[in-house]
Amino acid sequence: MRRNDTPVLEVRNVSKTFDTVVRALDEVSIAVYRGEIVGVVGENGAGKSTLMKILVGVYAPDRGILLLGGKEVPFPRNPKEAAQRGISIVYQERGVIPHLRVYQFLFLGHEEQYRGPWGLQSERMKREARDILDEFHVVCDVESFMYELPLATQKMVEIARAVLGVRLESRGKDVAPVIILDEPTAPLTLEERRELFQNILRMKETCSFIFVSHIIPEVMEFVDRVYVLRDGKLVAHYDLAQDAVTEEDLFRAIVGRESLAYTFEARKKTVSSEVILRVEGLTKRGCYYDVSFELCRGECLGLFGPAGSGKSEVLRTIAGILGFDGGKLVIKGQEAFSGEPPHVRLERGVGYCSGEAGKELFFHWSIAKNISIVNLKKVLGKFFPVIRFGVERSIAEGVMGKLEIKAPGVHAECYSLSGGNKQKVSVGKWLERSPDILLLEDPTIGIDVGAREDIYEVLLEMKQKGISFILVSDDPKEYALLCDRVLVMRGGRVQRTVSAEELQEVAVG
Amino acid sequence: MVATFSWEWMKRNAGTLWPLLVACVIILGFQAVNPTFLKYEGLVTLVYAMSYFLIAACGLTFVIMMGSFDFSVPSVLKLAALFCVMYIEKLGFWAIPFALLVSTGLGLLNGVLLAYLNVPSFMATLGVSIVVEGIGLYLSKGFLHIMYNERFRALATTFIFGLPSIFYWAMGIWALCTFVALCTPFGRRTYAIGGNLTAARLSGINVERQRVYVFALSGFLAGLSGILYMAQLGGGSMLIGSDMSIPLFASVVAGGTALSGGMGGPHRTLLGVIIITWIQSGMLMLALGRDIQMVIFGLIAVGVAIATMDRKRIRVVK
Repeated sequence: MRRNDTPVLEVRNVSKTFDTVVRALDEVSIAVYRGEIVGVVGENGAGKSTLMKILVGVYAPDRGILLLGGKEVPFPRNPKEAAQRGISIVYQERGVIPHLRVYQFLFLGHEEQYRGPWGLQSERMKREARDILDEFHVVCDVESFMYELPLATQKMVEIARAVLGVRLESRGKDVAPVIILDEPTAPLTLEERRELFQNILRMKETCSFIFVSHIIPEVMEFVDRVYVLRDGKLVAHYDLAQDAVTEEDLFRAIVGRESLAYTFEARKKTVSSEVILRVEGLTKRGCYYDVSFELCRGECLGLFGPAGSGKSEVLRTIAGILGFDGGKLVIKGQEAFSGEPPHVRLERGVGYCSGEAGKELFFHWSIAKNISIVNLKKVLGKFFPVIRFGVERSIAEGVMGKLEIKAPGVHAECYSLSGGNKQKVSVGKWLERSPDILLLEDPTIGIDVGAREDIYEVLLEMKQKGISFILVSDDPKEYALLCDRVLVMRGGRVQRTVSAEELQEVAVG
Repeated sequence: MVATFSWEWMKRNAGTLWPLLVACVIILGFQAVNPTFLKYEGLVTLVYAMSYFLIAACGLTFVIMMGSFDFSVPSVLKLAALFCVMYIEKLGFWAIPFALLVSTGLGLLNGVLLAYLNVPSFMATLGVSIVVEGIGLYLSKGFLHIMYNERFRALATTFIFGLPSIFYWAMGIWALCTFVALCTPFGRRTYAIGGNLTAARLSGINVERQRVYVFALSGFLAGLSGILYMAQLGGGSMLIGSDMSIPLFASVVAGGTALSGGMGGPHRTLLGVIIITWIQSGMLMLALGRDIQMVIFGLIAVGVAIATMDRKRIRVVK
C-alpha cells in the first residue's frame, strides 16, 4: 500500500567522483517513504557515508537529482539547508558534548530563537525540551549533564535533537523529517541496542529513518526495506516484509562472495592439554571477584557478558594494563605479579590486541614500521643491533599478503587506510610476533564483514599453530566462531562455563 | 626510486623543502646586505655559531620526538662549561668526564621525575634548570672565569681543512644521532612514545626506561655542547647563552620536528639550526639592536610553528 505513495525523499542516479579517480558513487537511486526505516548497508568504502553526506549537504554530487515529496529540488549546500528541508543526521560518534546540560544540548545552534530580554529563555527551553523528550519516550532529566546519561539515552537525545533541528529550521512549514542514523549502535551493548530500537520504532509515526549499518542481524530485525551498496553501486534492494531474505543472502550481497563466518567447519579442535595460563581467585575490587580458569595451549577462551560484567577488566589485568587486589595469575608456570607493566607481560608471552585502532597503531607510521615495532628482535641484525630495512620490508609484505591488506605498499602511512585495513595491520603485527597467549578485545569492532572474515581466518590459523586466545567481544557470533569454551560473566563474577555452540543458542534465543 | 621534480613531488616533500628554501633565502639575503657574510671569515663565524648549538639541539630533538620538553638544556650546558673552566686546572682532562657525568646525571634526574614521579616534563625540567642555574651562580660567584689551558681549547679551535674542529665534532654527533634515530630500536622506541603513548605501552615498550634514557642523552649532549663551547670561547660565566631556550626549540621545530612528538628527527634539525643560528649571526653582523632582534625572533618562533604544522593530520590544538 505504501508503494503507491509519493516518497518523502528520493534521489535518482546520484554519482560522485573524488579526485577524478575514485568513483565513490555510481548512479545510485534510493527512496524513503513516510514512516519507514530504510536500511543502507555495505562494507566500509562501499559509498554509504558519501551518499549520506550528499543528503545532508557536506558533499555536492557530480550528477543526480533530489526529490522531496515528489518535487525536484536542488541538493542542499550545507547541513543547515538540509535541516530546513527536513533532512538531518546523527553521526556515529563524537556527537555529544558531555559538559552541556540536556536542554542546552538539544537547542545547541538554535539559541537565537530563544533570546529573551535578559539572555536566553532557559525556562522556555527546558519546557520545550521536556515536551520533545516525552514525545519520544526518552526518560531523563533535562537539567542533568549529557555525560551523566547512559549511552543509549545519549543516542536518543541526539536523535531527538536531530528531529528538533528539522522542526526549528523549517519554521512551521510542513516538512516530513528524514533522520539519518549513521551506525548508531556502535558503542552500545546488546541491551542498550534493544532499548534504542524500541524507542526508534515508536518514533516511526512522526519521522522516517535511514539506518546505516553493517551489523546484519540488526538490519534484519528493525528495518522495513534495505539497500545494499558495493563499490559505489547499488547491488541489491530487498523489501523485508515481502521478500524472503536470509542473513546469508544479505551477507552475500554485501561482500559479493561466500561467507566463512557462517560455516563452522573452519574451526578445528586444536586444544592440547598443556596449561599455559592459570587464574586462581583473581579479584579486583569494584571490577570483578574470584575469577578462576585455566587456559590450555591452542585454546580460545571467551569471556562473555554485558558491559560492566568485568570481562574487559579481567582481560586488561592479564595484559598488565590494570593491577589486581587478590588471587594468583600464573603464566607458563611462573607467577605474575600485580603492577607489572605490559612490556613485562609481553616478555612472559602475553600480547594484547585491541579493536581500537588508536590503541594499536602509530598513525603517522608506515605499515612496515607498525608491524616491526612489536617484532624488533626479528628485524635487528645479528651482530649489530641495527634495523635491517630489507627484512622489515619483507616481513611487512608477508603480513600484507596474508591478511589481504589493501594499501599502495608497505610504506603507506596508516592514517590513510580504511578502518578494516587498519585493524588488519593491528592483527598482522601480532600474527608476526606470535606470542603464546594473545588477548583479543573487540578485535573486529566497527569493521566491515569482508575484513572480519580475513581476520578470523588468520586468527584460526594462529590457533592451529598453538597460540592461545582469550576473547572479549560484543558479537556473540564471534565467540561461536573462535572459542572452544566461554565463561559467562555477570556483575563481576563468573556465572558458568558453556561451550561455543551452547552460547550460540543462548545469544540467539 | 627516482624522484621526479614535479609539483606533486614538491608538495609531498614540503616538510623538507621549505626549511631548505628558507635557509637559501636567508643566506642570499644576508649576503646581499653584507658581502662578508659568505666570505671565509664570515663562514668561520657562522660555523662557530652553529656547531655547539647543533650538538645541544640534537639532544633536545630526541626529547621533542618523544613528545616531551627539556627546558634544562641551556642551564645544563652552562653548568658543564663552568665545571670545565673551574676544574681544568685542578683535575686536568678529568674535568671533562666529570662535567659529562654531572650533566648526564641531571638529564637522568629529569627523566626520573617524568617517568617515575609523573611530573610533566615541562615542569620538571623548568624546575631542574632553575636549580642548576642557582648552583652555577653559587660556584662561579657570578664572576667571569677565563681559561688558559691551550690544550683544552684546541679541542674546539684546531683548524682542519680550513674549518675549526668543533664543526667536525658537531657533524659527527649529528650523523651519529641521525643514525640512532632512524636505524636503531632506540630511535624507533623514541618515535613510538611520541607518536602514540598508549600504543607504545601496549606494544611492549618499556616507556619509563626509555624516557629516562632519552633525557639522559639530552643531558649528556647538553654537557658535551657546553664543554666544547667553553673550549671555543675560552672562558665563561653563568651568563653565556642565557636566552638559548627559545632559539633551541625554534631550531628543532623549524627543521620539522613537531612539538606534539612522533615526527621529524635529528637529521632535520641540522637545517633548523642553520636557519636559526645564521639569522642570529646575520643580525649581529648587521649590528641590529637587541630590541629588533627579540621582535624578529618571536615572529620566527611563531612563524615556524605555523609553517611546519601538518594541518591535515592534526585535529585538536590545545
